[in-house]
Amino acid sequence: MNEPWWIDLIKAVILINLLLGMFAYMTWVERKLLGRMQLRYGPNRAGPFGLLQPIADLVKLIRKESFYPATAVDFLYITAPIVSTFTALLAFAVIPWGEGWHIAGYDISGEIADVPISLILIFALGALGVYGFIVGGWASDSKYALLGSMRTCAQLVSYEVALALSVLGVVLMAGSLSLTQIIDEQQHTIWYVIPQFVGFVVFLAAGTAETNRPPFDLPEADTELVAGYHTEYSGMRFGLFSMAEYVNMIVLSSLCVTLFLGGWLGPWPPLGPLWFLLKVLILIGFFIWLRATLPRLRYDQLMAFGWKVLLPVATLNALVTAALVVAFS
Amino acid sequence: MGNFLVWVVWFVAAFACLGSAAAVVSFANPFYSALALIGNLGSLAVLYLLLSAEFVAAAQVLVYAGAVMVMFLFVIAYLGRHADAPWAGGPSWQALGAVAAAGALMVEIVVVVGLKASGRLAKAPDVGVAFGSPSEIGRVFLSDHLLAFEITSIVLLAAAVGGVVLGSQAHEDEPKPSSGSAAGTRAK
Repeated sequence: MNEPWWIDLIKAVILINLLLGMFAYMTWVERKLLGRMQLRYGPNRAGPFGLLQPIADLVKLIRKESFYPATAVDFLYITAPIVSTFTALLAFAVIPWGEGWHIAGYDISGEIADVPISLILIFALGALGVYGFIVGGWASDSKYALLGSMRTCAQLVSYEVALALSVLGVVLMAGSLSLTQIIDEQQHTIWYVIPQFVGFVVFLAAGTAETNRPPFDLPEADTELVAGYHTEYSGMRFGLFSMAEYVNMIVLSSLCVTLFLGGWLGPWPPLGPLWFLLKVLILIGFFIWLRATLPRLRYDQLMAFGWKVLLPVATLNALVTAALVVAFS
Repeated sequence: MGNFLVWVVWFVAAFACLGSAAAVVSFANPFYSALALIGNLGSLAVLYLLLSAEFVAAAQVLVYAGAVMVMFLFVIAYLGRHADAPWAGGPSWQALGAVAAAGALMVEIVVVVGLKASGRLAKAPDVGVAFGSPSEIGRVFLSDHLLAFEITSIVLLAAAVGGVVLGSQAHEDEPKPSSGSAAGTRAK
């Protein structure tokens, strides 16, 4: 492999900008789609079809006075959104989005870092990202923010277990924790969504809860909690939290595509990134559709669903997969 | 160049480890202590990475720095910001004893490691490519250390059952919320 470090650097810079651009336009797509699903127009004032709306929002957030409670703990209050955004963006580094190319004597791989434990790394980064939410809520010194962060914490910890167990079937079938190898295996056999359909459904449900998306958006249930852990945040600090949430959603969709839907596989491999993007966009559209369709769960329903439905189903799926893998190998 | 980088990373991680460990026991606010403990576990994970144990490092971050410490923070945040430090105002001989015990432990570790590995420390590590990989760790767990592995699983199971039992007992001891009578008096 002839791939000097500066190629990785260029890839990282391009990818981070793509992710942030995608985040900005995801808010537009979401508002537009939600509007259409609810027989409204959605944003349509800034530019044609409201296309400049994300940019207007960004300018507004940056120019806003950064206002915070006098009793907030300064250092932690400022660090919390940075931690969340950083871990969310970093997780994308190990997700493969292409087959790799050979240009002018240089090899360009289809991911920034190919580590043998990339799947665990993504989960570890997700576990660290939770701290941004809980520390931010605590450091705000506000009862709504604290309650919101407590809920976030309880929900994320509960659903992380089901999420991790739901991918165990894929790991068992591929025999690897490396995302590139999991895609290789799918290229030679079959997309894992077919043999691992149960795991796929559990992953989608737990993933929706992991990213605080409706109908699992209890951490920011505005009727009870004002806005949850980011109640006391304004300006670009709020923007960072929002960015972390949307980037998490992109990362989770990408992980789902990688594990279950064949990643960048599709007709004519050099177009890999395009297939990858298409699949991710379909999944994101699905998440938005869910938001427009389902009402928010009650808190006890959420916990009961996580521990009494998703977790046993995911465990059973892993056990059955393990037995079958041993039987047929 | 590569070697120099390793030294820099080791230096930063090792001192972050010591500094955060000292911070854990010296903060008055338990929330900060818990955050320092997360930092400590994280810098330990970096040291594991330098020892080419990448799986252990990721598991350390996922399990200890992630899941376990979230529970700590959860409880501490519920207890409130101005909780007392756990041993504030204790007798000073306890502090002296703790420092003496820690010093003895450190001397012991240095002496034992020095005696056991005096000849081998100067050489490069002789580890294979598979060392520290998930499959290799799984193989060792299920062959050489099977008994310890299974006993650990039983201990964890016992702890989980114990947690459930204690939790359900605490529920029974609580005075029943007298919602019926309260509603009755309000109706009158």
